[in-house]
Amino acid sequence: MLATLVIALLVWAAVASACMLVGSTGHIGIPSDPNIRRFVLPYRIEIVLIASLVGAALGAAGVVYQAILRNPLADPYLLGVSSGASLLSLLWYVGALATISVSFQAIGQQAFAFAGAMLSIGIVLLIASRRGRIEPVTLILVGVIVNAVNGSLYLLIYFRHPELVARGGVFTFLVGGIQTNLTRQQEWLAAGCVGVGWILLFYLAGQLNVAPLGEAEAEALGVRIQRLRWAGLVVASVMTASVVAISGPIGFVGLVCPHLARLIVGSDQRRLLPAATALGAALLALADAASRYLSRESLLHTQMPVGVLTGLLGGPFFLLLLWQNRRRTEATP
Amino acid sequence: MTAPLLEATNLQFAYGDRPVLRDVSLTLARGEVVALLGPNGTGKSTLIRVLLGHLRADRGQVLWENRDVRAWPRRAFARRVAYLPQSPTADPDQRVADVLRTGRAPYWGAFGLESAHDVAIVSDVARQLDLIELLPRPMAELSGGQRQLVFLARCLVQQPVALLLDEPNTFLDLRHQVDLGQRLRRLAKEQGLAVLMASHDLNLAGALADRLILLDAGVVAAEGSADRVLDPQVVGKVYGLPMRRLDVPGQVQPLIWPDLR
Repeated sequence: MLATLVIALLVWAAVASACMLVGSTGHIGIPSDPNIRRFVLPYRIEIVLIASLVGAALGAAGVVYQAILRNPLADPYLLGVSSGASLLSLLWYVGALATISVSFQAIGQQAFAFAGAMLSIGIVLLIASRRGRIEPVTLILVGVIVNAVNGSLYLLIYFRHPELVARGGVFTFLVGGIQTNLTRQQEWLAAGCVGVGWILLFYLAGQLNVAPLGEAEAEALGVRIQRLRWAGLVVASVMTASVVAISGPIGFVGLVCPHLARLIVGSDQRRLLPAATALGAALLALADAASRYLSRESLLHTQMPVGVLTGLLGGPFFLLLLWQNRRRTEATP
Repeated sequence: MTAPLLEATNLQFAYGDRPVLRDVSLTLARGEVVALLGPNGTGKSTLIRVLLGHLRADRGQVLWENRDVRAWPRRAFARRVAYLPQSPTADPDQRVADVLRTGRAPYWGAFGLESAHDVAIVSDVARQLDLIELLPRPMAELSGGQRQLVFLARCLVQQPVALLLDEPNTFLDLRHQVDLGQRLRRLAKEQGLAVLMASHDLNLAGALADRLILLDAGVVAAEGSADRVLDPQVVGKVYGLPMRRLDVPGQVQPLIWPDLR
């Protein structure tokens, strides 16, 4: 367990350092002029660290969601966290455009996104629980419904406000990217949430091994399964919400990383959690560097959010995983 | 005789307004194998889950070592009593070793840290049940008999004093049924384990258990030795079938089967 933790940390550190070679303009390499370097490096470090933070949270939350929901296709957005964040971000944008009041803008889109994410998951948990008990299948169904409603409301608002259509840029709330306009305070808040949340999840990791079992079986092994489900889902959701607030929804990281980690370290949650966290951090830092490179003027002529890239690469990659898995299970009846 | 490990008195339980257990009392002592018999839907599984404290009895009391089952902390209880459900679950990708290790869950420290003792117990049980070679294999590759043995092993890894099994023979062929029964019997006699198992096979239960409890629509229709419980009159009434009994020379317990003529 400790070895996994150390190796995971080293792998991430190696990838993250490599990512710092790619500049915000897609330029590769470290500038030779010391004056430029002094200006550029802290900025690059900040970007790579934020991408890592977001990826780490998504990877860890994905592991926990998949274990508790007993569903290999679960990802941290399944229960409405991201769609709620997008919806309230859009509302904030509408409000900010209409009032043009400084105080409204000062609250910040990030705060609205976080509130939206928590509101959304709160509604899902409230509807899905019966007398304090939550059950995976009901949760997933309610999550899908709330996501759909959030999506429709988003479009409704969008079309009710022609000024949004004219302004463009609204899709940032649907496809996430690593933002560079964050305040230090926002960054530390998100990092704090993710850090504390991760330690809590790691504390639960042993019990999470029992979560995929039947309810009676888990109880018979001394695990209070309802308490574990609540704790795991709430902590993982707060972590997800705090990173969705600063980056917007970035697809597939939370889905693919747990599977990838499982291929490497097996299904023991105590090793899976650190492995998926490091993979998430490394892969998102890498994907972000790649999207910066691809966004170079000579290639795409536009700023492409990393969410587009993870979606494009993650989808086929996940299909490959599924396909391999199917071949393996078909070979052993 | 010392006080029984388990003492349940006058249990009543209903799902909504559908009564399942009307009035059931039973005891279980260390070192004995007790078989719970009765037709489908007669309350065997429900009774087991009430005994485990997963379901709360509407009336009556379940005492484990003189302490109400619902007053036991879950973890402490899991160190005393293990449960093998009718269809145990496992991730097909999970290796046998990982499944066995989850049996130590009631003993894990914070962060799920395992002690050397935990690891030793797992390999002891694996050796005892001849599972050593299966340890690195994924669950998906095992046969039905092997799977059931792995789940039994997970229960034993809990180092319980009592083991409650809900129809463990469902997916087993005759040889594996006998094998499982004999293993349970040996564990009871050699290590003092108390075994309560729901079963559908009257004759096999009669041969392997010390005591039979026959349930009929939520009440105990008969209880005691195979000789006493496997009575054509009693069993025939419970199952709604004419039954015949055959006493085998040189064998204590009788055989019983439906009279189809």
